[in-house]
Amino acid sequence: MTILRVSKLVKRFGGLTAVGGVDFAFPRGKISAVIGPNGAGKTTFFNMITGIYTPDEGVIELDGASIVGVKPHQIVSMGIARTFQNIRLFGSMTVLENVMVGMHIHLKAGIVGTLLSLPAARHEEESVYLEAYRLLEFVGLQELLNEQAANLPYGAQRRLEIARALATKPKVLLLDEPAAGMNPRETAELIGLIRRIQEETGMSVILIEHDMKLVMELSEHILVLDYGTKIAEGGPDHIRSHPKVIEAYLGKSAVEGDNVRLEVVT
Amino acid sequence: MDMILQTLPQVLVDGLTLGAVYAVVAIGYTMVYGILEFINFAHGEIFMTGAFVGTAALLTMNSAGWLNGLPAGLAYFLILATAMLATGMLGIGIERVAYRPLRRAPKLISLISAIGVSFLLQDIVRFIADIRTGNFIVTGISLYGDNLKLGVSSLWSGFDDAFLKTNTIIVVAVAVVLMMGLDFFVNRTKWGTAMRAVAQDRETASLMSINVNKVIALTFFIGSALGGGTGVLFAQQYGTIDPYIGFILGMKAFTAAVLGGIGNIRGAMFGGLFIGVLEMFSSANLSVMTGGALGGEYKDVVAFLILIAVLIFKPEGLFGKAVKEKV
Amino acid sequence: MNHLKLWLGRSQPAQALLLTLFVLFTAASVYFSDKSVVAFLLLLGSLLLLYLTTFRTSIKWGIGAVLLVVVIPFATSGGPAHQSYMEVATQCGIYIAMALGLNIVVGFAGLLDLGFVAFFAVGAYTYAIFATPQANEFISGQLFPLPGGAFWIFIVLGGFMAALFGLLLGLPVLRVKGDYLAIVTLGFGEIIRIIFNNLDRPVNITNGAMGLSSIQPPSLFGFSFTFPNQFYFIVILILAIVIFSVKRLEHSRLGRAWKAIRENEIAAQSMGIPLIRTKLTAFAIGASFSGMMGVVFAAKQTFIDPTSFTLLESITILVMVLLGGMGSVPGVILGAALVTILNLQVLTELTNWINQLTLQGIIHIPNSISPSKMQRLIFGAILVLVAIFRPNGLITAKNKKVDAERLKTLSTGRSLSVTSPAKQHSGGVGQ
Repeated sequence: MTILRVSKLVKRFGGLTAVGGVDFAFPRGKISAVIGPNGAGKTTFFNMITGIYTPDEGVIELDGASIVGVKPHQIVSMGIARTFQNIRLFGSMTVLENVMVGMHIHLKAGIVGTLLSLPAARHEEESVYLEAYRLLEFVGLQELLNEQAANLPYGAQRRLEIARALATKPKVLLLDEPAAGMNPRETAELIGLIRRIQEETGMSVILIEHDMKLVMELSEHILVLDYGTKIAEGGPDHIRSHPKVIEAYLGKSAVEGDNVRLEVVT
Repeated sequence: MDMILQTLPQVLVDGLTLGAVYAVVAIGYTMVYGILEFINFAHGEIFMTGAFVGTAALLTMNSAGWLNGLPAGLAYFLILATAMLATGMLGIGIERVAYRPLRRAPKLISLISAIGVSFLLQDIVRFIADIRTGNFIVTGISLYGDNLKLGVSSLWSGFDDAFLKTNTIIVVAVAVVLMMGLDFFVNRTKWGTAMRAVAQDRETASLMSINVNKVIALTFFIGSALGGGTGVLFAQQYGTIDPYIGFILGMKAFTAAVLGGIGNIRGAMFGGLFIGVLEMFSSANLSVMTGGALGGEYKDVVAFLILIAVLIFKPEGLFGKAVKEKV
Repeated sequence: MNHLKLWLGRSQPAQALLLTLFVLFTAASVYFSDKSVVAFLLLLGSLLLLYLTTFRTSIKWGIGAVLLVVVIPFATSGGPAHQSYMEVATQCGIYIAMALGLNIVVGFAGLLDLGFVAFFAVGAYTYAIFATPQANEFISGQLFPLPGGAFWIFIVLGGFMAALFGLLLGLPVLRVKGDYLAIVTLGFGEIIRIIFNNLDRPVNITNGAMGLSSIQPPSLFGFSFTFPNQFYFIVILILAIVIFSVKRLEHSRLGRAWKAIRENEIAAQSMGIPLIRTKLTAFAIGASFSGMMGVVFAAKQTFIDPTSFTLLESITILVMVLLGGMGSVPGVILGAALVTILNLQVLTELTNWINQLTLQGIIHIPNSISPSKMQRLIFGAILVLVAIFRPNGLITAKNKKVDAERLKTLSTGRSLSVTSPAKQHSGGVGQ
């Protein structure tokens, strides 16, 4: 079963083709990964899925419905949420408020209801606090709920971004380099968190990541990009020993030696 | 239609003169924006200060009786140089005091600081002018005020003759010289290269052992000196100045900079001339074209509408490159 | 000194005693002196003192209401300066409401609007045109001026018209990014002033630079409002509604969306927040406060012309917001009050005093640098200094802190309902 399908996806910037005709089907309810060397077009790929860039050619389908040309904020309502490679929290708001912003699309309170404090609006507002708090518990940040987001340590900021994305109640969760800048202990915790998300909610998770340990441990299905094109796809074992993947990461000479596996890259 | 054609030569002469002024002021905006990605709101006031400094220098020379012995051209050169030097230093000072401490602050805050500087300058100049002359509206001495006639009616009888002052030629000539000098400086000299490098990527430039603070100071000096010098040209051309001339003129010059593609020096020159001609054209013809419904008072509205339209539909300007925020 | 401060911080009876004594003392001085600016300012200062107490919020509001509605009007009524005190207080109220409106745009949503006074002008002209014979110029039937009773409808109408202008203006303008927005709003502010200045032809709508005079005063059940001490109560009422609305909005879905946009536009839209629409609501709501006060202003002045709505006014309101603290409601109220008092009381008094000294021949200060003409210098200096040394203003905006313990108790024993929709879809029944 496929949750998200892209076919013949192309994005050009001037003369540069960032993504050149990628086909891929992300399985429903599973963890998948998009990997590739720097500049392979991974983030551009995410930006097309989340509507920040419009693809020049090709199709993106969520649950069979095209999302090409849909505005970023509407794509969230259709069920795709994301985190950012360069963390983009609402820095001067509290940790709890950050998650509450994530619940925006599921709230109905309008201006009039808010101003008159109608029962429905009041009740909704109260439940927002509770739900946001529960999400913080889920990612382990409940103790920090009143802190300013910008004052959190790095690893906690990454987890807060995940909590905020979860608050939109997505079908598909896109994580853009979630382990970047984390130490091994934090990465291990992150692996546990991502697995819990997938197991407890059945959400489909797609991640971009350079940490091969994390990728190989979590993902069932991997898409490898290089210079904007797909050079391999498949399960972790298949990818690990795929000659083209090793070539992309280590250069051509590395392939000629025997038994090179991708672990060395990490 | 006939009336529009009749006045066209005069509109073009006046428009190109004003446009030359806009163009040089626009360069100041564009240079600073190119390097700091920051709108120097006070640039219009620097232009105004230049006008006052130049006029003050001229009046001082006159009351000291030097003006009689001095050729008008030399006097002109002296007041231009004085004003450019003074406003150049003023630009460096403003950057040092009001902008540099805020380089890492949110954009909103540095913009607000710039607005503050522009109000401060208006009032300080008003004080000084008022104390010195008893009035903040100052009329200078015209060095090249004699009128010339451009007999274009002999080319085609549909045209009226156009009139201009000798000073008009000086305005255009000096503006052209300043712009050519700047173009040479930015594209052909070591400091110009450093400037372009800082505009491209401040961090990397500093790693290449370019002194970024010095380059920024230099940028402010040149931009402000150009603005101040243009102030002198303006004062000579239009006679009367007051402390509030800089604000709206600055806005229009900024429009010119945006139209030409902000950060693009040659674009700013084109933008300035375009806005100048357009303004004179609407000033002369709006009333005719709308059957008297709208008068020349709306000429500023036309300029602002251009600004808004460009920013909405083509924010990179006519000659700029589109930049997308990296996600 | 520190001990005293600590003890005061803990002891509410002591705070109550101090506040009462302060109010009694200042109120008595205002009541019994002919005209004492210092005493009057101190009396207003009691509101700041009240803000600093540790009483419960509802009690603070109660005391504040008593001070504003009973104590201040009564204390100022003792001497000949009654109307001038009330005029200052009324102006403060008008500017506070406008500053709170601009605070939504600049402080909450992070959009630098330099043409904010345009909305004030729209409100003022909305009432002025129909409360003078002016409207007869373009509506036949000699129906105008409308009677003073219409004023009350026009407060709402003025707010609505300003909001509508906010939307019309915002639609094109809000597509423009960051610092360009400042320039564009400045341009639009000027455009609107130029239009009001010239809209005496082809159809005479605003009477151009001549302005509109003899605007009908408001009336209610045959009672006509003409003096500042009467307008004071109208302003207090509107201001109460404005403050109440701002407080409600600040911590609502919409308020959070505004702040999210201010903090990071890209992240905000990735959370499902429509950028343009959310910015438009900030523009429209902020504008409506200004519009309502514009109507009051027109009625109070009985004369308006385009010179009341210049760029200097827009910047003045920005100074109030920045000085008080962008995004901070108590801060903005303080900032607006301080700047208005500085403008109307301190500078004027200082000028009068200097003029007297000059007349007596003690000093000689030229008219050109009289303090009342120094607004640009003072405001410019405030902008630069606050931006550099105190960018969060006098009272920094505070985030809402929640009771962690309560949420913890509520949260135990419930499943994570938040993610249920995804679970439904994972069942394989694609939508």
